[in-house]
Formats: sequence, structure tokens, C-alpha cells
Amino acid sequence: MTETNLHHQIKTCLQQVAQLANCQLTEPVTDDTVLLQSGLDSLGFAMLVAQLDEELGFDPFSEMEIAIYPRTFADFVGIYQQYLARHAGE
Amino acid sequence: MAPCLLDRIKKHPGAAIALQYCDPADGSVIRISYQQLTTAAQLKRQQISQHDQQNIALPYRQLTDFIVSLLAYDGICAALYLLPDQDTTAPAMPSVAGATAAEPPNIESSWYLATSGTTGTPKWIGHSLAQLTKTVTCKAASSQLCWGLVYQPFRFAGLQVVLQSLLSGASLIDATTGAIEQRLGVLLQGGVTALSATPSLWRQFLFSSKLTVLPLQQLTLGGEIADQSLISRLKQLFPQAQLRHIYASTEAGVGFAVSDGHAGFPRRYLEQGYYDLQLKVDAQQHLWLKGPAPFGPELAGRVDADGFLDTEDLVELTAERVLFLGRASGVINVGGNKVHPEQVEQVILQVPGVAACRVYGKSSSILGQLVVSQLVATPDTDTTDLVARVSQHCQQQLQRHQIPIKFQLMAALPLAGSGKQARTVE
Repeated sequence: MTETNLHHQIKTCLQQVAQLANCQLTEPVTDDTVLLQSGLDSLGFAMLVAQLDEELGFDPFSEMEIAIYPRTFADFVGIYQQYLARHAGE
Repeated sequence: MAPCLLDRIKKHPGAAIALQYCDPADGSVIRISYQQLTTAAQLKRQQISQHDQQNIALPYRQLTDFIVSLLAYDGICAALYLLPDQDTTAPAMPSVAGATAAEPPNIESSWYLATSGTTGTPKWIGHSLAQLTKTVTCKAASSQLCWGLVYQPFRFAGLQVVLQSLLSGASLIDATTGAIEQRLGVLLQGGVTALSATPSLWRQFLFSSKLTVLPLQQLTLGGEIADQSLISRLKQLFPQAQLRHIYASTEAGVGFAVSDGHAGFPRRYLEQGYYDLQLKVDAQQHLWLKGPAPFGPELAGRVDADGFLDTEDLVELTAERVLFLGRASGVINVGGNKVHPEQVEQVILQVPGVAACRVYGKSSSILGQLVVSQLVATPDTDTTDLVARVSQHCQQQLQRHQIPIKFQLMAALPLAGSGKQARTVE
């Protein structure tokens, strides 16, 4: 999967989950969007990570020895890119 | 008998700030000293009627008023009922025989907090002040701390912070409401140095860069299982601070704190105990506890011949540690909010076309656990829109954290070895 595809997949997933979780996203969500101000609350965020785990087959946050949490949407995508590369190498 | 709460805080310097919060009307910062609290509590005591000396209900309106009431009534009234928020129906308060006017006003009050019962209906659980303050530390330095209050004080988690702050002579900053960034702003502005939260709330705080600039000296995690990666991250960010995670059985009113930077607790506690607490693990991996005082009659069914209580918490033994796995009953803990799967199943089964369903917890790296479900349709049911109908019904009937994040349509439900419906934590 290319970086652009992953970026697109995560954003689509974010929009679907926001609807399911009854969260009003502060559109447009850009790379600079601060996650805590995106409109997605902790439940919505947990659902997003669970949904991406189903789609991609991994959850970076459960694999971290020391938990690091992203601040912006770009940070979030960056973590998935990093772990995707790791999983592709397995 | 232990002195009452008011007597215990009278030793603090009167001018020291006990509470600080923003006035919701104009946003100005209000500071209340220990002297002001004790004076207000003494005034309130003088107004207590003989009837109130038996049972008193404390509805939560405002923090100062609530704390003044606690100070005034503890040691005077037989039972204090801390009423939960308005959207929860307060369970009927049993009457407790109290002091009469002729008796000196110095009795051991029972504090009642509403907790979720096995059916999802709240029930009252009584505690003594001694039980509630079991994990409170009152070292000389603790009066210098400034605690952030991030949970409503009528809940077990919030009340513990209120008592910790009051008994140690520290200051308390009210950050119970608002969005995460806003609450962190209040904590930062108030100069908070001590914070107690569930692992899920700590994770939320970690999404903000504001957390790292808080000058934290004391970090407490409780109400959920604290995992190693979160503990490691907090230790990395606050290397000089004391970090502890608390295990507490709300029902039993007992608990202990672990501060060695590792998840779970040391296995040696099983042989040596923890202060006056004895611990054991049975063949079903349930953790059992025995405190200095016998458990109340409401827990009789879960106490063995040796006086140990089955906490119904599942644990795993490793060479060095005892690690928590979840609740044996299958109760799901979504970021500190307990969800009873039976209650969710009952709601799903109300939807025409659903023959059977199973609700269980799926582990989440963000909220500890999430609710998921599997369902089986009745024969001849058009299943094309069944999941949508179930989902819609759940949205109407359940709170957000109770709604399954996934509805999986199955041909049949898996059964556990016992033939009972499987409730294992996944």
C-alpha cells in the first residue's frame, strides 16, 4: 500500500466512524487538525483504532512498548505508516 | 474511634487554600481557605435537625457546598448518601438508626455511594471513612501538593481525590467539566502537581502537548487496568514524579497502591500480604482479598470460610507479578464505565427478527475495552436491514459507551465448554 492510499483509507475510516459514533467532525480534517479538536471524542477515537485494526490487521497502540499518542491527524497517519512498514517487512 | 473528617482537617493552617475553581458565571478564580471551610461546616452543623442526624441525602450542586456538607455531617449523621447525577435514578435509601439529640454528636458515619449492580440498576454501597481513606497518604510533603479533580466528587474516583486533598492539607483544583484541552488548561493555570485519573483519561491527556508541561509530582492511575506501555510513557515524561496505580474493589471498600513502575502487583503480596490486607488466587484465577474487618452482610455470598472475598477479578500469574485480566462476570469496562452485557443483550433481543445474541468485551488500546456483539436471526427473517435496525434500536435505548461498535451476524452463537453462553474477554 502506498502512503497516499493509507492516508486516504484512514481519512475515509475517520469519517465513517465519526458518523457511527455520533461525533460531529470539524471539517475539513487536514494534516494539521489537532485530534482533540477534531470533534472525535475518546469513544470515537477508540472505535477508529479498532476499525483500522480490522482493515489493516494491526493496532500500533497495542504494540508500543512505551505508548506515544499523536497530536495531529498527520502524526496519527505517520504512526500507521511506520507500523505498516514494519508489518510489511515481517 | 477515628476522629471525624472536620476534626481531621482542623489541624491544617487556616489560611492555606483548600479549593480553587472558576466561577461559571464570570470565569473569575475563586479560592476557599481551610478556615473558610471549617467555619462554614460548623455553621451548617448547628442547623442540623434531629431527623437529619439519621440519614442525610447530599445532592451535588457545587463543589464548595458539597465539601462543606461532608465536613458538617460526617461524625454527626449515621448515614451520608452521596446522590449521583440527575440522569441516574437514586436507589431507595435504607434507613439507618442514628444518634438521638441526647447523644454526643460523635459517631462513625457510613458513607453511601451509588454503584452499578449486576443488573445495571444502581445500588447503595456503604463505606466507613477509614475504608475510603485507605490509600490516602499524609506525608509532610503532601500538604504542598495541588490536586486536580477530574471526576465528579460523588463518584468513588472523585471522592478519593477530594479526601486525599483535604486530609493531607493540599489544594484542590476543580477540572471536572469541559473538553480535554480546556480541562488541561484549568489544571495548568491552577498549578496542579498531583493528578489521579483512569488509564483511559491519562491516554486522552497524552494526546495533548499540554500534559507534558504540567509540573506533576504525583500521578495516580485507577478504576481500570493500568497497562505497562502507559505506565512506561508516564514514567518517561515525569521521571522525578511518584507514579502509582491503585487497585480498589469499590464494593468491598478495600484496595492497595502499587508504585514500582510495573503493571499488576508483586507476586510476593500473595505470601506476605499488603499491610493489613491478605490476598490469594484460586484455581479459576479469581483474586480473593481479606481485610482487617469482616465484609458486610451484602457480600456474604462471596466470602469463603476463611473470611476472604471473591473480588471476581481475573488475574494471571507470572514469575514475578500478578496481572489483571478483567472481570470474571464478563462486565465490560469501557474507559472506566462499566457495561453489563446482559443489559445490552436484553435491548438487542427486543428487535423483531433477533433470535439470539451475545455481547462481550473486545480489548481496546485506547479505552481498555469496547462492546461488540454477535447475533443470530430468526428463520425467515430478511437479514438485509437487520443489523441497521438493531443498531438504530441500541442508539435509542442505550448510552453511547454501551452500544456495541460492531454487530456480527452469525449462523449460531459459540458456546463455552460449560454449555453456557461464552463470556470470555477477547
